[in-house]
Amino acid sequence: MNIARQMLALAFCASAFFSAAALAASDPDAPDLILKGDAKCTSCHDEADDTKPTMLDLRPSILAIGKTKHGVIADGRTPSCTDCHGESESHLNHKGSGNPPKPDRWFAKNTDTPVDARNETCLTCHQGGKHMNWQSSIHANRDVACTSCHKVHTDHDKVRDKRDQTEVCFSCHKEQRVQVNRPSHHPVLEGKVACSSCHDVHNDNPKTLIKSSTNDTCYTCHMEKRGPFVHSHQPVTEDCGICHNPHGTTSPNLLKSRPPFLCQSCHDGLSHHGAAASLPRGPGSGNFQTVARGCLNCHTNIHGSNSTQNSSDGSATGYNQSQSLRR
Amino acid sequence: MDSNNTFNPRLSVITLALLAAFGGPAWADDEIDELIKPESTVSIGVGHWSNDRPQQGIYDGMRENESPHLLIDADIVKRDDATGTWLRFETRNLGLDNREFSGEWLRQGNIGIKVDYNRITRESPQTFNTPLQGAGTTNQTVVNSGLATAPRRDLTLGTTREQTGLSFYKNLLPGLEFNVNFKHEEKTGERAWSPGHAVQFVTEPVDSTTRQLEAALSYTTKKWQLRGGYNGSWYKNNNPLVRVGYTGAASNTNPTYLSFPGDNEAHQLFLNGGYNFTPTTRATLKLEYARALQDDYLPTSGVTDWPAAVQAAVGPDKLDGKVDTRLAQFGLTSRPFKNFSLNASLRYHETKDKTPIRTFSTAGQPYNATAPDYVRNSYKTITSKLEGTYRFAEVYSFTAGLEDKRQDRDRPLRVTGAEKDIVVPLRSEVDELTGRLELRRSLSDTANGSVSWLHSKRSGNRYKRALWDHSDDIGLGGLQDVRNLTNPLHMAKRDRDRLRVSVDWSPLEALSLQFSAEEGRDKYHDHSTMVNGLDKGTNRLYTIDAVYTATDALKLNAWYSYDQNKAEQSHYRTHTTGGAGGGFGDPAFKYSDLQDTGNSLGLGLRWEATSRLDIGADLEFFRSVSQYDQDVVPLDAGGVPVFPTTANLSLGAPDIENKLLRLSLFSVYTLDKSSKVRFDFIHERWKTDDWTWQFADGSPFVYGANVNTDGTTVYTKPKQVSNFVAVRYIYSFR
Repeated sequence: MNIARQMLALAFCASAFFSAAALAASDPDAPDLILKGDAKCTSCHDEADDTKPTMLDLRPSILAIGKTKHGVIADGRTPSCTDCHGESESHLNHKGSGNPPKPDRWFAKNTDTPVDARNETCLTCHQGGKHMNWQSSIHANRDVACTSCHKVHTDHDKVRDKRDQTEVCFSCHKEQRVQVNRPSHHPVLEGKVACSSCHDVHNDNPKTLIKSSTNDTCYTCHMEKRGPFVHSHQPVTEDCGICHNPHGTTSPNLLKSRPPFLCQSCHDGLSHHGAAASLPRGPGSGNFQTVARGCLNCHTNIHGSNSTQNSSDGSATGYNQSQSLRR
Repeated sequence: MDSNNTFNPRLSVITLALLAAFGGPAWADDEIDELIKPESTVSIGVGHWSNDRPQQGIYDGMRENESPHLLIDADIVKRDDATGTWLRFETRNLGLDNREFSGEWLRQGNIGIKVDYNRITRESPQTFNTPLQGAGTTNQTVVNSGLATAPRRDLTLGTTREQTGLSFYKNLLPGLEFNVNFKHEEKTGERAWSPGHAVQFVTEPVDSTTRQLEAALSYTTKKWQLRGGYNGSWYKNNNPLVRVGYTGAASNTNPTYLSFPGDNEAHQLFLNGGYNFTPTTRATLKLEYARALQDDYLPTSGVTDWPAAVQAAVGPDKLDGKVDTRLAQFGLTSRPFKNFSLNASLRYHETKDKTPIRTFSTAGQPYNATAPDYVRNSYKTITSKLEGTYRFAEVYSFTAGLEDKRQDRDRPLRVTGAEKDIVVPLRSEVDELTGRLELRRSLSDTANGSVSWLHSKRSGNRYKRALWDHSDDIGLGGLQDVRNLTNPLHMAKRDRDRLRVSVDWSPLEALSLQFSAEEGRDKYHDHSTMVNGLDKGTNRLYTIDAVYTATDALKLNAWYSYDQNKAEQSHYRTHTTGGAGGGFGDPAFKYSDLQDTGNSLGLGLRWEATSRLDIGADLEFFRSVSQYDQDVVPLDAGGVPVFPTTANLSLGAPDIENKLLRLSLFSVYTLDKSSKVRFDFIHERWKTDDWTWQFADGSPFVYGANVNTDGTTVYTKPKQVSNFVAVRYIYSFR
């Protein structure tokens, strides 16, 4: 019996070596490696053809689909190769030398498959749930394909890993690449907050945010700002983005500009409101609208106050302390 | 498939043959398994920073005083192919202060559950040397007597978020899925604060609990999709109030009470639907209704030791805050012709503040007209959008779009129904119309790109004037005019233009280049009657990226960005009273030209030096310069007070330059099929001349403008140079 099997093996080897041209086309008798019916592909795109993932990431590892959720056939929804790439008859039936024609749909950077066709492939299964509004999203309408960001043939899709996600997003969003390196920033580069913590790129919310407004998005982490407060600060209730740039700033606390400049973009110049930016010469100099916390040195509860203590301590000649967000 | 190798003996065929002959030797399975089975890795190591990095270590949990750092990461995956069951445990930074880990069990396409824990730390880069008593508690005492002998200590402020999450997923029927996500967060720590009436240092003790729950049911067919559910969120502040007292007798020795945000919660129902009329025409609908509540006790309502000069609160002890939010959005996308597509939407978003309008403190104080009655803030925004794209010559597309955004706002009302006094002029309507044109080239092997231009016009109705006169007329004189000279930045009439050009070019197979240039201009109007506020804005960004794949083993990349943001704004100063022009009049104007300019550079190398050795290097350099040019006209003599005065102040703010240089080197050496060793070296240099916590001569900032000074001194580290070395052992298995 052993001899018979070894003879069979030799026959296969001989066939492999001496019938290369025929083997360039798919082998109908080859077994499936990962997906149902994948033999027509993996008989050529096999381990000899495959590129093991390396840090250079130069080309996809075809067989790495097996490491992913797309490679689990126990899940009846899992597609086959041709579900995504098309039947690709001309590609499969290519014989002889030279490059075979491309599959019906292919997804490399230099693809000639139109974006809509590429995205329709994914949407066949992924149209529901949180991808429902993809077609009306900014990305879809700027010719971004699903595979512009997602890599399917890898178990490490960078855009789904919050530590590496910025590599993908910054390939287009250059301004944000600079801003997250400013002194005041969210912990994006530190891997604790991802772009997708705030942005749902598959959705059509304003600024592609995860919620239907800027404030509702910010409240997911900064819920104490939701209020309402006995004494409110109008722009706080309207849009956090009026004063803050969440991607990073040179001003402290992600402020678009420093006090007093930022505050003077709305407030009048009566009395101390109109102070020019200046650095005190020492303690007791007065007029601390620029250094330390700037205007917030006194207007300390700038997002809103719930105090009803209404006059200045012991010197009740002043304005209402709590209404001016001082406590 | 390697297209250059058409004579390629297929190993799978050979394998098949060998399997048939020898019953499947282990090495054959191993080779295939390596390519198609999920891999687990565990990495254990140790790292050390040579010096403290207060600025760069704000979030990374690796301040020098905690060194050496234990570096533990793991990603352990087990999959049962027969049932499609995944079991995954993942951890990052397990040995650091900002550790996180998660565990997941998933029967793919059927049911799954995930538990995760994430810790986010934030350490303030400043050190506060202070005699403050009770820092971090709800009862703090400012030391304003016996300062010479009062004990002082160094405080490094910071906060910690500890997040725990639980997610559950179940596929109920084909196409029908149920998801529930719950997140619990405890936030603790302390931040710099102030009693409010003077420049003094106290701390804000942070101790709050946040919970968020989302439960959603999704149903998906080829034709239509639905997703609906509930979102709930709860915020609980464990500190209601901070009492600030003083050790000594002085003019301001009465206790001050600092309030916190009250407990609040919100409940939202949502429904999102999509329907494909045809393969090329789709409609979507979004409906949301939310109610946010804040009915916590007012923190000062139980206070009994009010200072004699301060009247106690009266009225209700709760705000009974109630804010409803509604969203209705209809979208339509279609490709009516082969080369033409449309995207249209209509969106209605309303935030309706239904909080009762009440008075919470006693009338009779000076400036009674501004007594702290609750002010409602409601917004109704209707946005309509229409965009069309025409594709031609196979690789080109032209897009034209129009978006109209109309916002109505509530006018603040007093308890009596009259309009409440406001301190900034407001508009009850703000409208913005935006047009956009874009030409795009795509699907080319060598050069793709786009050029787009955007123009928007924002305007609104006439301003309601701040303070006692609420008319929308200008020129009544006195304080009414003086306080109504500034266009608020978010309502001011504005024209905006944006031009963006981007090119992706691959001149060689091994070389790809990316150019991007952006130029934006804002011009603010309405300066005929309200002469101040933002005048002009500019933003520009020029960037180039290059990736060169020298060989299959060597890849280089480089990028450079220049960015600039400018804002020109005018403002004014005026006497409180008694100026030369009489009363509040004769403001003296000042004009500011603010600029942030950045130069950023990145260089990278990835080299598979040998089959066992990978080497990588990254150099990053960031330099930003912030400029605060001011043209200040001196105030006329007379009156009180005049800001600034040359005796005490610098009369101007110097430029600020921030520089960061980071060189990162790593190598990974493969010991055997399942083991690697990784070495890391980072050289990091940070330098700043930021004066935020300095006096004009560069000395550290000291709190205290009056008799209550406690001399709290704030230290920063303007230059930080540190080196990091680490070694890790990485074990992989299946």
